Amino acid sequence: MPIARRARAAALAAALALAGSAAAQETIKIGVITDKVGPAKPYAEPATEGIVFGAEEINRKGGILGRKIELLIEDDQGRPDISAAMARKLVEAGAVFILSMSLTPATQQQQNVTLAAKTPQMTPMNSGDTLTTQLDNPYFWQTGPLGSIQIATLLSYARAKNLKRVALISDNSDLGQLLARFFRSGLEKSGIEVAVEEVVPRGATSAEPQMQKIRAANPDALFMAGVLTPENVLILKAYRQFGLKFPIHASYNLSVPQYMTVAKGLLDGVTFVDAYDPDKPEVKAFEAEFTRVMKKPPYNLHGYGYDGINLVADAIRRAGSTDKEQIRAAMQATPGYAGVMGAKGMKYVFADGKRTGFDPNGMVVRVYEGDRQGRVVHVGQK
Amino acid sequence: MQDFLELAVSASASGCVYGLVALAYLLMIRPTAIINFAVGEWAMVGAFGGFLLLTRAEWPYPVGMAAVLLAMLAVGWATERIAVRPLVERGAPLLAPILALLGMLVVFRESISLAFGPDPHPVPYPFGFGRLELGPLAGSYQSFFIIATTLVVFAGVWLFFERTVAGKAFEAVAINRRAAALMGINLARVTALSFAGGGAAAGLAGLLVSPNISAHYLMGVPLAIQGFTALVIGGVGRVEGALLGGLVLAFAEQLTVRYAPVPAGYAQGVPLVLLMLFLLVRPTGLLRAREARA
Repeated sequence: MPIARRARAAALAAALALAGSAAAQETIKIGVITDKVGPAKPYAEPATEGIVFGAEEINRKGGILGRKIELLIEDDQGRPDISAAMARKLVEAGAVFILSMSLTPATQQQQNVTLAAKTPQMTPMNSGDTLTTQLDNPYFWQTGPLGSIQIATLLSYARAKNLKRVALISDNSDLGQLLARFFRSGLEKSGIEVAVEEVVPRGATSAEPQMQKIRAANPDALFMAGVLTPENVLILKAYRQFGLKFPIHASYNLSVPQYMTVAKGLLDGVTFVDAYDPDKPEVKAFEAEFTRVMKKPPYNLHGYGYDGINLVADAIRRAGSTDKEQIRAAMQATPGYAGVMGAKGMKYVFADGKRTGFDPNGMVVRVYEGDRQGRVVHVGQK
Repeated sequence: MQDFLELAVSASASGCVYGLVALAYLLMIRPTAIINFAVGEWAMVGAFGGFLLLTRAEWPYPVGMAAVLLAMLAVGWATERIAVRPLVERGAPLLAPILALLGMLVVFRESISLAFGPDPHPVPYPFGFGRLELGPLAGSYQSFFIIATTLVVFAGVWLFFERTVAGKAFEAVAINRRAAALMGINLARVTALSFAGGGAAAGLAGLLVSPNISAHYLMGVPLAIQGFTALVIGGVGRVEGALLGGLVLAFAEQLTVRYAPVPAGYAQGVPLVLLMLFLLVRPTGLLRAREARA
């Protein structure tokens, strides 16, 4: 019965073709844990927007391994107590990778799940130094610039200023306190005395008592480690109102463009550490494409998310599979990925088995010129 | 001494803001016994009103300020109609409207967050950013403006309660709701007006403080806590207690930061310590309510 055999063969071929087509249609699920309502929202929202833009760009170019990316986005409200549950939900939904865009303590909690479930996880934006050291989790990476890199870069810039006694001010957020600790330890290691240290609590209506104490200490410079914009603006207002002249060196929080509107007239001469060089070719290309597609210009926080999703896509491509173990190995072996963030020429790499990927010499120091985020005045820690 | 006098201006301004939030609580608690923790979010709405009308639309400050206060009267009134009155009319226990208002807190915060995003927004100063020296006292223009405006508001509210029939009606409801109703006082109207007044007081606090701290969606809860602490310190019985409580709290906070030999950051515990102390030692606050006259 050759005719019947041919018909069966044709039916089998058609079925196989359909199955192949279905496989091609299957998406690669990447989980994102972000903060939509909590204290990390001002950072998490633009960084997550960068992930969404990056994923759509990758999909427009054909996806990864012929498959489209599907983002599964969960909101942990910046709360460590529910963050692990969100990670579990994403693992059970089939996510082959999780990007953490919430607070540092929340990201830490998620690691308990990703380690147990052997699911690769990365935070492209958290800056806490302890995320890769508290837990020996080979499935976790951190590509945001560490707090210690920030202070080292600022100190490297300030070294030429011959500082002896400085003041340190921060806020009482988890991250603000963490950064203040790194700042203090970095300053003390450099032989610079922290003459006075102050905290402006979240929700304060004045920073004048703190700035009075700092004025009384007469420091050579003021280091700002806080990450809460309203409280930082209070500090700048008291500084200007008291007519203080010592220089201000600030954390990356001052790199958020919102300062140019809420701290108008207060910023001239303030130096701040940043991971974003507007003159970098990758940044120029990113800004042009983002503006074209999203109808608004991006800024540094968008770049963190964009780099994060592209690093994940790069690892999956090199793994040649969505097997989580192979993705883990590929991510750890990242040969050097040039992204949007970092100084010119910086590449993400996890050298010597480490899981922090931001080059210690990859940050820059910029200065406010009037109310505008101005030129790069220093690069790296040299 | 110069530092102390400078700090006195700054603490007085902060205390006035706390006092206005405490006044918002008090206006509602006295006649209804309802604690409305959404007052902080009302302050936030007032701040965003300032951002919309004064920053975006660039209205003249007095016109924008009046419009924000009118809008906040409406917000307070509407909140009472939506979240309180239906429960009261159905005979729900006192806890029910308090919980419903906590729900409104989330509704206000998330609505603002969705409408304006997570970033802080600027609100202009009525007299610009600068420093004023009045004899030995020195402070920002805004600090003096906050103090002057708050004193006018408290004087007005004090006169309302002490010198007008409507104010006496409020006080009667506060002393004995049933007797007040039997005397022909419209309880529903008093409740609605108390919420409208609370909305305006909280909105004014938000509008006054927003040039310093910007308008942002997380500004409400700290103000609600500071205002509540001020209320406990000053006592819920008298209007002037709200202002006194705010000033005591702000001076305690700022003097501790400036002069107390405690490590940085510990000073933020001062409001909580004061709150606990007053609840334990003097739960009626500094100023007790007047006794009902025979």
